[in-house]
Amino acid sequence: MLSTLLASDVVAPFSSPKIDYHALAPELVLAGVIVAVLLADLFLEESKKWVLSTIAGFGLLAAFIPIVTLAVSGHRARSMFGGAYVVDTYSLLVKGIFLLAGYVVVLLSQNYLEEGDYYQGEYYFLLLSSILGMVMMGSSRDLVTIFVSLEFLSIPAYMLAAWRKRDLKSNEAGTKYYLLGVFASAVMLYGMSLLYGDTGTTILKGIGAKLQNGSMSPVAVLGIVFVIIGFAFKVSAVPFHNWAPDTYQGAPTPITAFLSVASKAAGFVALINLIYVAFPHGGDVFQPMIGVMAASTMTLGNVMALRQTNIVRMLAYSSISQGGFILMPLAVAGGKSSGNALTAIVTYLAVYAATNLGLFAVIIAVSRKTRSGEVSSWGGLFSYAPLLGVLATAFLASLAGIPPLGGWVAKFGAFRAVITSGTNWGYALAIVGAVNSVIAFGYYGSLMREIWMKPVPDGDTAPIRTPSSLNAALMICGGATLALGVVPGIILRFSDIIKL
Amino acid sequence: MSQLLRSYLTVAMFGAIGVLLAALLLAISALVRPNRPNADKSKVYESGVDPIGDGWSQSQIRYYVFALLFVIFDVETVFIFPWATQLERYAGFGLLEMGIFVFVLLLGLVYAWRKGVLRWV
Amino acid sequence: MNAVMIAIIEPQPIWYLMLSALLFSIGAFGVLVRRNPLIMFMCIELMLNAVNLSFVAFSRIWGDIGGQSTVFFVLVVAAAEVVVGLGIIVSILRRKPGATADDISLMKG
Repeated sequence: MLSTLLASDVVAPFSSPKIDYHALAPELVLAGVIVAVLLADLFLEESKKWVLSTIAGFGLLAAFIPIVTLAVSGHRARSMFGGAYVVDTYSLLVKGIFLLAGYVVVLLSQNYLEEGDYYQGEYYFLLLSSILGMVMMGSSRDLVTIFVSLEFLSIPAYMLAAWRKRDLKSNEAGTKYYLLGVFASAVMLYGMSLLYGDTGTTILKGIGAKLQNGSMSPVAVLGIVFVIIGFAFKVSAVPFHNWAPDTYQGAPTPITAFLSVASKAAGFVALINLIYVAFPHGGDVFQPMIGVMAASTMTLGNVMALRQTNIVRMLAYSSISQGGFILMPLAVAGGKSSGNALTAIVTYLAVYAATNLGLFAVIIAVSRKTRSGEVSSWGGLFSYAPLLGVLATAFLASLAGIPPLGGWVAKFGAFRAVITSGTNWGYALAIVGAVNSVIAFGYYGSLMREIWMKPVPDGDTAPIRTPSSLNAALMICGGATLALGVVPGIILRFSDIIKL
Repeated sequence: MSQLLRSYLTVAMFGAIGVLLAALLLAISALVRPNRPNADKSKVYESGVDPIGDGWSQSQIRYYVFALLFVIFDVETVFIFPWATQLERYAGFGLLEMGIFVFVLLLGLVYAWRKGVLRWV
Repeated sequence: MNAVMIAIIEPQPIWYLMLSALLFSIGAFGVLVRRNPLIMFMCIELMLNAVNLSFVAFSRIWGDIGGQSTVFFVLVVAAAEVVVGLGIIVSILRRKPGATADDISLMKG
């Protein structure tokens, strides 16, 4: 292997690649913050460790600044490293979602960590590393870049899931997530090697140019199938969802929020990059596969969620079923409504991130008082914590898709994408989705009933004291959920700028 | 005869000569040396000290941290070798990039050092 | 006659692809069948190395360096995964010696 590299000394003199530092600024800032957190953790006294969460939070906001400056500096796509790394408006949008979601997770973690006496420095270091991986995923347009970003975001997440070392449940969460995650990346990599073997390039655009309609070789078909199966694990699509409920239940709650939102969104972003850039003509291969996965994911997620009594576990299945709705537009990608589908997915990801993180913020706030994860512990929440009760209801309603909240706009977009595809099984998928939206009312509604109608368990009506960081997280998520629903301009603007 | 087989032939001849030579030396010494077996001679040799316990023993779990550290730093060199072979071609740019890479690795080492992982026992 | 036989023995890139597919299947089978987390993990390593072999073979077929440099990344990422994975598995085996994947299932439903 080395000998080929060694033998390449006959080629032309080396000229250093042009690097657009402005386009890379979010990643560079984030990398700098990661180094700062690590060093600060090593040389700070135990009593001053609270600084770390501040550094992490401000670091994420600082990385957001170059995204804004890039967005206002024109809609030109900036391509680097031979097309392996592209910064365009779509990637800026998803990067913004990742950074803000990461910021909310830092807010959620603050008190959880300080009160639980966990390793703060390493926690924020790993959390930021994982977010950096996601930000890189937004721009990845090359098989190797996608692989490296994916592992960059997954490996810290394995450790974070097993964070409570002394708790067997957390260990179990980490082991399951790890073994299945690595297995999935091996399957995905094998698919990538087949794609490379069929086309002779790892650049997605090059692969897309080689894989033309009707002339796809069996090797390429196998490659596409393997790659999609690999990512189906990451987004916990049925039948590759088994790890999700256990991992979500066992991991620390802020990490559960992080995994169910950001990590899942990164998987979808990778799928979008692959499907829209590399397999635009592979519709015959991936559409049936993703369609079946989407239908079974939302159905099974919903049916299982109905039976749960633990809130986090119920939300785990709810997030599986939401994943099915996000997959739904992907099943018609490559056809007539390709553009609609892309907008629908990104909109859904933004809304889902705001809503689900908000719901987890409520869970963390309530469990500070009740110390329980059972559905019944939410009984009469409105009577003693009216603000939390209203916010929780709003988030649940948004997840269920009730207007005028963000979730409604997201669901509407997803249904519009499959219906405008004009294919029979776009319609079939829309019907399955509609039935599932109704089923989902069952468990979202039962939680609402607990909040508004059930008596308070043990009659303990002491108010819940929420720390300011948690309040900030609740306000951000609540505001975003409402704004995405009632200000349609935001979403309309999405469709102008999201193009691949 | 194909080029491949010819190169394998060299390898085979080399191996055969090696085995033959070792066998020959052992055979000669077996013929020449006196033969007086006793129990002490068949004991395991452990730097002159009397061996204690079984040949298989468990090693301390804390050594596994060293093993992990070794694995990670060892594998990272995979990026340094190709760069080193083309050092002149990549010139200043390559040096800077590799400097950043090694700096990040160094951070890992500093972390291990501050956490006291590097202390032996 | 002799020349023909020797020409057949010359390894073709496709042989490596077949070997890689075989290794990958053995690894995948092992992950699904075995119950010891360490052995499952070794099987995953086998799958990753099958991928490396296939990348190098394809790289040879195309005469393109891209596949070989991909292997570098896969190797390094696999090493990072080994370290993290062993850390997690050791921490669970410390608390529960001799645990199998069936023992590691406190959570159900």
